[in-house]
Amino acid sequence: MSEYLDLAKRVVEAASASGRDVEVYISRDRELTVQMSRGQVEKLSQSGSHGMGVRVIQDGKMGYAYTADLSEESVERTWRAAVELSEVATPDEYRALPDPEPIPDEDLQIYDPQLEALSVEDKIAFLKKVEETTLNYDPRIIATTFTQYFDGTTSVYMANSRGFVGEYSRTGAGSFLFAVARGEDGGMVNAPGFGAATHWQKLDPEMIGREAAEKTLSILGGSPVPTQTASVVLDYFVGAQILAALAMAMTAEAMQRKRSFLLDKLGQTVASDMVTLMDNGRLPGGFGSAPFDGEGVPTSATRLIDEGVFQNVIYDSYTARKAGKRSTGNAQRNGHQSLPRLAPSNFYMQPGQLSRQDIIKGVEKGLFVISVMQTGGIDPVTGDCSMGANGVWIENGEFVGPVGGVTIATTLGDLLKNITQVGNDLRMVPVFGNIGVPTLRVDNVTIGGT
Amino acid sequence: MIAPEIAKQVLAEALRTGGDLAEIYVEDRTSLSLGLDDGRLENAVRGADRGAGIRVFFGNLVTYAYTDDLSEASLLEAARVAAAAAKGNNSAQVIDLTQRKSPLEFPILKPFDALSIREKAELLQKMDAAARDYHDAIVQVTVTYNEVQRRVWIYNSDGLYVEDDRNFVEVLGGVIAQRDDVLQRVGEGFGAQSGLELLDSKDVEAHMRDLADSAVRMLDARPCPAGEMTVVMCNGWGGVLFHEACGHQMEADFITKGTSAYAGKVGQQVASPIITALDDATIPGRRGSFRFDDDGVAAQRTVLIENGVLVDYMWDLVEARRAGRESTGNGRRQSFRHLPMPRMTNTFIDNGDAAPEDIIADTKYGIYIKRMAGGQADIARGDFVFNATEAYLIENGKLTAPVRGATVMGNGPKVLMEVDAIGNDLALDPGQGMCGKGQVARVSVGQPTIRLPKVMVGGTDEPAGGVMAV
Repeated sequence: MSEYLDLAKRVVEAASASGRDVEVYISRDRELTVQMSRGQVEKLSQSGSHGMGVRVIQDGKMGYAYTADLSEESVERTWRAAVELSEVATPDEYRALPDPEPIPDEDLQIYDPQLEALSVEDKIAFLKKVEETTLNYDPRIIATTFTQYFDGTTSVYMANSRGFVGEYSRTGAGSFLFAVARGEDGGMVNAPGFGAATHWQKLDPEMIGREAAEKTLSILGGSPVPTQTASVVLDYFVGAQILAALAMAMTAEAMQRKRSFLLDKLGQTVASDMVTLMDNGRLPGGFGSAPFDGEGVPTSATRLIDEGVFQNVIYDSYTARKAGKRSTGNAQRNGHQSLPRLAPSNFYMQPGQLSRQDIIKGVEKGLFVISVMQTGGIDPVTGDCSMGANGVWIENGEFVGPVGGVTIATTLGDLLKNITQVGNDLRMVPVFGNIGVPTLRVDNVTIGGT
Repeated sequence: MIAPEIAKQVLAEALRTGGDLAEIYVEDRTSLSLGLDDGRLENAVRGADRGAGIRVFFGNLVTYAYTDDLSEASLLEAARVAAAAAKGNNSAQVIDLTQRKSPLEFPILKPFDALSIREKAELLQKMDAAARDYHDAIVQVTVTYNEVQRRVWIYNSDGLYVEDDRNFVEVLGGVIAQRDDVLQRVGEGFGAQSGLELLDSKDVEAHMRDLADSAVRMLDARPCPAGEMTVVMCNGWGGVLFHEACGHQMEADFITKGTSAYAGKVGQQVASPIITALDDATIPGRRGSFRFDDDGVAAQRTVLIENGVLVDYMWDLVEARRAGRESTGNGRRQSFRHLPMPRMTNTFIDNGDAAPEDIIADTKYGIYIKRMAGGQADIARGDFVFNATEAYLIENGKLTAPVRGATVMGNGPKVLMEVDAIGNDLALDPGQGMCGKGQVARVSVGQPTIRLPKVMVGGTDEPAGGVMAV
């Protein structure tokens, strides 16, 4: 048994006097980040750190405190702070720690020992390959920005006063960059290339570099089209950004607190029958996979939309108790500094049959959307969905030219219903949560242009 | 925080492999957050975080290692890790550390502990009640209170030793109004670099009633028309426009890489002659202010654009060394776990001379943006986008119907050249701005009321029949 798990148990014991519910979460991280420009490493950061978060619940009142200093004195100050905060919170009969449940013994394939064994030089060479692939792709590519390789190992140690004890480790690695291209008129565009995986072997530097270059060149010189209603085909990276907002509308909390455009729609048809949405905390090799969630509940798979019908939402232990359901194991932690928060784990749309090419071939008139600016533009509460977009115009199934500086607008409700084709190319994007979506065709979208 | 003798030893260790400059950044951060949701105070969190990062410069390469253990042994180990990542051929020596003081005063009149946690919680309850009592349509309210104390100590081998103490208070409110199938939400916060005197200076219940009023109004909103049209933006938080449209493109990392439209344009006309824009980290009480930036450079006021002419960019130490010039004190980092990068502080467009009501009266057809959610910038294209949460049609010089789902998009450099009216009502935002650029930083934005004669508005409604511009 590790010393961190011992420490977690000791703190639970010390703090849980007088019948309080106490939960201790310790995380230990190792991180490496490399940033490069034109083959030269610009920034190289490597470190290890750890921290503890203590959650106390007494009489339905919850308090939380955290610290990065695990000395005895600091740890005691921390749990006492959590107790003090729990005294001012509002009592809530549904607020309690979950009772321990057996954790299924299966290999989720989330830990890669090779990542720790490789040298920093190997990882720098990987990033160099990514960047070279982009820069050498075409002379119009003049630079890359935010060119990064990152990897890390996180180990989680948890114990609570109801007898839960658990630990696991996971790894992750990835690379990201923007390619910047300049056209003859001096105008510039950029688009991202991205790859991430739990295992080193699954990363392909040339694919990442090529993706950035191809996407960027395809939108170079784009200008607005006239304002109109048309079809759009969404690249997986764009679809993931929309699905991330959609996921927030499909939690039990969003329902219980009236923060969802899908309020009161459970059991109803809310999407095209091609749409099946899953949350699966046990997806092998998934960035959002773990044996148990942020409060020690085993993770599970939940079918949220089944062939267009809104069937389920995801739960943590609080919302489950309130609704008289079982937690789906979706209490997520963003490290030791955060309270467990109800959120998706690996959230994705089931792929269909068509290739991306087939989908594009079927579009009479529309926009293939390659990049969007959507900060604040997709609202899971109101369902409003509008954003800036760049892409390629499609006519009679063929690409006819780049488009830039347009807006696309619909509502999340209309978008779900107007999905008319789903690709076979599901790809997970662990940037906005771990969200996955195949290429999608959506009809009846307003494109705002000249 | 660290004794100067120990800092000197750690810096010497960091320079052992031939780096030209070494730095220790120490941070101690404590925070309290109280979150009221669904009528209950349920997210009560106290945090303590501290650690140090060791940075070594080898020409254009920067290596970094951080630790959450401030013992001498651990600092020396981090210095070895940072030093071992590269080889240089310098024989730089550590110059004796002399503490530098800042002339800036950011007074704290009422310390964080002047109110008990319970009193702070009661304040949130009052705010919740104010919003709910305002109207039956208000179905959900959230209020969050945050206080953060962030102390930093920076030492470098050029003899630099500075300290900074940054205290933030912020209160964020959000309300949701419902009528049948329609939900509308409006959120807005206020905050400052100050003590609890902020809470005395502000009618917190009126703040919540104001949000509730907006959300209820927006229940009647119709879909926003799409297409090119005139947009008038409110003062204060409307400054998100300059932040997204131009500010990011004037950060030095995009300039030295040549990926910004403003690269190489110093001295040229880049905006309408009625525009003067500044970045000023010295303003007391503002979220983006500090005495020293996270490179240890003294805060300053930088004129970015004067009467439409580009004057300077925003520089951090790394980019300034690369360009062989002085930093403008724009090096900021999220925490000791991060390396600094060029960031905005408090960035705003200066006053013009039009009365704001005249700007609206003088607009035949367009959209008036009163509140908005965040925005985003595409640095290479120079495009920006932001989303309105409260907006109205302007018809024949008057505000008429509220519109929902409006996205405003344009090309920053182009739009700045076209701005054709600037109000005399300069205000900075209420103190809620967070900027994300891989790392999160508190910032302020600001502007007077301004008019953009022709930008793209994304909505779902048919465009209005050909009525355009003034």
